[in-house]
Amino acid sequence: MTLTPLDELFLYSGITVLVALLLGRRLPAGWMVTILYGIQLLALMKMAPLGYGGEPISSALTFEVMGQSLSWRFDALSWYFALITLGSALLSSWYACGEWEQRFRQSGGNLWLFHLAMTLNVFSMLILLASGDLLSLFIGWELVSWAGFLLMAMAGGVATKAAMRYITYAMAGAMAIFGGIALVYVSAGSLQYEAILTAASQMSTAHLWMLVILFGAGFGIKMGLMPFHLWQAPAYAETPGPGSAFLGAISSRMGLFAILLVLVKLFGIVNIDSLKIPFTLIDARDLLAWIAVFTIIFPTFTAMKQNDARQLLAWHGIGQGGYMLLGLVVADAMGAAGGLLHVFNHATYQAALFMAVTAVIHRTGTADLNKLGGLVVRMPLTFMVLLVGIIGLAGLPPMNGFVSKWLVYRSLLNEGMPLLFVAAVIGTLGTILSVYKLIHNIFLGQLRVEHDNVKEAPWSMMIPMLILTAIIFITGLLPGIPLAWVASVQQAVGLPVPDYTLGGVESASGSLDMIWVIGVLFAGFGIGALIFYFAGGRSKRVHQLDNYAGGHFLTADVRYQYSDNFYAGLMHLIGGWYRGSFLWLEQSVKSLVEFLSLGMQGLYRRANAEFYLLSTALFVIAWVVI
Amino acid sequence: MNSINKIPVIEEKRTNPLARVFDEFVRFCRSRSLFILHYCTGCGAIELPPAMTSRFDMERLGIQPMVSPRQADILLITGYVSIKTLKRVILTYEQMGSPKYVIGICSCTVNGGMYWQSYATAKKLDEYMPVDLYIAGCMPRPEAVLAGLQKLMDRIHSGEANSWEDYFRNYDYYLGNQQKLFGENWQTPTDIITEAKHYDLIGEGTLGKHTQILEQHQKPLEALDMRLGHDLKEPTE
Amino acid sequence: MAPMELIIELILMPLVAFVVGMMMVLMMRRIAAKLQRRIGPPFFQPLYDIVKLHSKRTQVSHGLIHDIGIVMAMGGYIAAETLLPVPGMTGIAEKGGIITLLYLMMIPSLGLALGVGQCANPNGSIGIARALTAMLAYDIPLVIVIFGVAYAAGTTNLVDIIAVQQAGGFETWGAVQMPVLAIAGLIAMHASLGKQPFEIYIAPAEIATGPMVEMSGKYLGGLFVMQCFQLYTTSVLYVSLFLGGGTTWFDFLLKSFLVLAIPVSIAYLFPRYRTEDLLRLMWKWPVMLGLIGVAFVL
Repeated sequence: MTLTPLDELFLYSGITVLVALLLGRRLPAGWMVTILYGIQLLALMKMAPLGYGGEPISSALTFEVMGQSLSWRFDALSWYFALITLGSALLSSWYACGEWEQRFRQSGGNLWLFHLAMTLNVFSMLILLASGDLLSLFIGWELVSWAGFLLMAMAGGVATKAAMRYITYAMAGAMAIFGGIALVYVSAGSLQYEAILTAASQMSTAHLWMLVILFGAGFGIKMGLMPFHLWQAPAYAETPGPGSAFLGAISSRMGLFAILLVLVKLFGIVNIDSLKIPFTLIDARDLLAWIAVFTIIFPTFTAMKQNDARQLLAWHGIGQGGYMLLGLVVADAMGAAGGLLHVFNHATYQAALFMAVTAVIHRTGTADLNKLGGLVVRMPLTFMVLLVGIIGLAGLPPMNGFVSKWLVYRSLLNEGMPLLFVAAVIGTLGTILSVYKLIHNIFLGQLRVEHDNVKEAPWSMMIPMLILTAIIFITGLLPGIPLAWVASVQQAVGLPVPDYTLGGVESASGSLDMIWVIGVLFAGFGIGALIFYFAGGRSKRVHQLDNYAGGHFLTADVRYQYSDNFYAGLMHLIGGWYRGSFLWLEQSVKSLVEFLSLGMQGLYRRANAEFYLLSTALFVIAWVVI
Repeated sequence: MNSINKIPVIEEKRTNPLARVFDEFVRFCRSRSLFILHYCTGCGAIELPPAMTSRFDMERLGIQPMVSPRQADILLITGYVSIKTLKRVILTYEQMGSPKYVIGICSCTVNGGMYWQSYATAKKLDEYMPVDLYIAGCMPRPEAVLAGLQKLMDRIHSGEANSWEDYFRNYDYYLGNQQKLFGENWQTPTDIITEAKHYDLIGEGTLGKHTQILEQHQKPLEALDMRLGHDLKEPTE
Repeated sequence: MAPMELIIELILMPLVAFVVGMMMVLMMRRIAAKLQRRIGPPFFQPLYDIVKLHSKRTQVSHGLIHDIGIVMAMGGYIAAETLLPVPGMTGIAEKGGIITLLYLMMIPSLGLALGVGQCANPNGSIGIARALTAMLAYDIPLVIVIFGVAYAAGTTNLVDIIAVQQAGGFETWGAVQMPVLAIAGLIAMHASLGKQPFEIYIAPAEIATGPMVEMSGKYLGGLFVMQCFQLYTTSVLYVSLFLGGGTTWFDFLLKSFLVLAIPVSIAYLFPRYRTEDLLRLMWKWPVMLGLIGVAFVL
């Protein structure tokens, strides 16, 4: 049996898990794991032709289970997501394996479990990404869910609670997916992709509706789509620093991958488009688009109210997922490219942001936005990383987030969807507000006395952050690099491909060339700097207490900083709109389940066990017969 | 020292005719664009709104009000200065960017006016900071205010209005008077001595026995410089 | 286009914007003076102010980010001007389009926000918080309007949008074709200028000019330069979207000044709204008008 490149990748990934399992308690385990991630990335690079339209590579590994064959293979879609997964795993692990690791051990963290959870996550994600039929997809999906749970729960306390919430959602989602798979099997007679592809066009409307709802809900839970978004922010925020960088970068994109694979590739966006909702003007595709848009807006504005930096970022992670889905649902060349490109871009800046915030926590011990301030003079490089990251997150030029959002906007404009367009822009504006609060409250304003001796983050943490920063900027300057991969993904799932160039996108109705835009922007900055530094006199740096306070003498013991209730004027108006409706919904579902279980328990105590056995058996027989 | 006429005019001789034209242009612009910060301590403030609004319209001379001392060119003190107020006035003055000018309006700033016998009033403003122009009267009419401002504009244009340099060059004298009034612990968050050093405005009278007293108890307020902290030693303090 | 020609355009466009912008500042101050029955500043007053501020001998900096903020505030607008076509010059307008321009116009404000943040003055921070809130308020109607215009023209390329409007003379102007959108755009533009009654983030009597509180000398000078660019960009953008751009410099400048005169004349008759009132106003009327206008376009 010869090993295909995919098998090699699995092999290395398995070795990584083994190393973490057996040697995880030794100190250099972090370095070893990091190097092994590097090797996995190299193995992935051997499959690089996939990213440029190469033929799918299948694994030598196949199983026969109950007449169903399980197979694994990599195509452009899998390769693209695997690249992001391994890239973020490599950098997060690199980030973790220096001083952070030592601190984590000293403060009582279980390093072995951390490495194991990380490696398991990567391994299970690779298996999921490589799935060659719906059954292997489901297996991969379950593995990813439980591996994610392990990583989220390991911090204990609040984290375990958040992780329990996650796994409850995830299991509900898995049930939905399993139901969907069963339904597919009933109608297509097989779980192979090819069979489903042919069966999809002949499915009845009701059938397709059921499938869209089941799969959409199941995968949407992982993505944090509304209204299943509540678990995500607390779960990610409570994960140990590098873990949250990894999870925030890629974990919930597995949901997007599955949606892309099942809903877009197998069922086809055209079929979904034909599902009309009776008595309204919208169809299933519009419904998905609106879910995406609400997923953009509500979590973004929830993020704005957070006072914990990690919670803020985690909420944004949910919101950004909405852009990806929105672009994919619009499904024209630009929109799909924008949505897919955003997966990559989001992974880069979200990882950088979580790392920067973790670096701040590493040095100051807190992520409370009301207990920080003025750190730019003490942690200038981390400031730069966070700045680049938030520019990306807010989707402003010159960083990469702008390109993907531009593509999404452009497609909404082309397709004539004003409300979705405006809603997407509202999300961006909300993001700008909330990320300014983030950077202001941590790095700008007054430096607290107790932070006077804070030092810059150690190099072991700094270098991965700087690498990510460079990636964010370079893919913003030359979006053609990731757009090439995206284009082959689009081909692989059967979506139209935009006419991309190295600097952006060519289109008759308005192009984008980031090389020019960024060139001119920096030329402008250069001229501005010339005017500023040479047309004016010298300036003198002054202490922060030499400040205007209406003639008052400022002293170090009195805080002169604005951080709490940052957007007070805005909250005067919209503050009352935060009603926590989804929390209420979650609570009521929970109470309902509790109530039912209580009722069942009561019944169980009183009645005979034989009765249950009998009724269950009857039910099963009835179900099989029908 | 405390009289305007005694302040030596230090002329920068520039031989390049183009540079002189440029200097002339800059002085002209400075004289035609004045941002005022009102420190309205007393009754004189009532005369300023008419000077600004439609009757007299300061803006046609390029003069407009500003809010914070950082933005202002002129510190306009209208009326008596109590000792408590004077601390704020001095801080405000020190926070302004040079070239800066001080105008004392009303008799109170000249000699304490009707508060001459008050124990809590600083009598002569120019003991504590260099005053470019007094507009006497109780209170001076807007015409007088505008005439005074025009006089100041002429002095700025001709390069005579550089008393702000005197504050740097003779800081010891002003600080001494301030210490006499506020006690030896007197210190503002601004640091005039390092500022004078930074801008090369050290004169013979910048340092003296009063600044020595200041330096003994001064808490260091150096700018928070950006630092990476990797290769730096732990701060000694 | 020959590279030399392009370079000349890229240099000339911001320069023209600056000079015209200074005249717009003058016009604004003159209109204010006329409304208050004053004479107003002399012709070269904006120049005097900028030269004076840059000629200050001493000024304070609160750190590197404070400096960079000013550089970004000026530089961002200098870059944005090259995306804004004027008669005879298109610069790189075809490489970016209107969405890029809209986002590029946010860069100066955000650069400034960073700079102000480092000043460690809560007045400044409150000012920025309010300015960003105001941006959230007026950008929503603005993007609706821009969506409508771009959709009607079938392109996001400003050069094409202008060409479409100039094709049939007066009748094909955006303002004639889409009057409802034009009104909504005018309100949004007024708010984006940050003049009364939408002056929430300057608020001199309340938060001591907010973002400008710690700006002295050339720092304030940079902001004065930025204001020139801001007035120019806003009015020229409106002219390009609704009034057919300009075929000659004369009618281009005439339109730009006239458009700017409308909000400025209204501004000095009003006091200031509170933040939430601004939001309420912006999210109600211009949004409603904008959506109606878009409905007509679709």
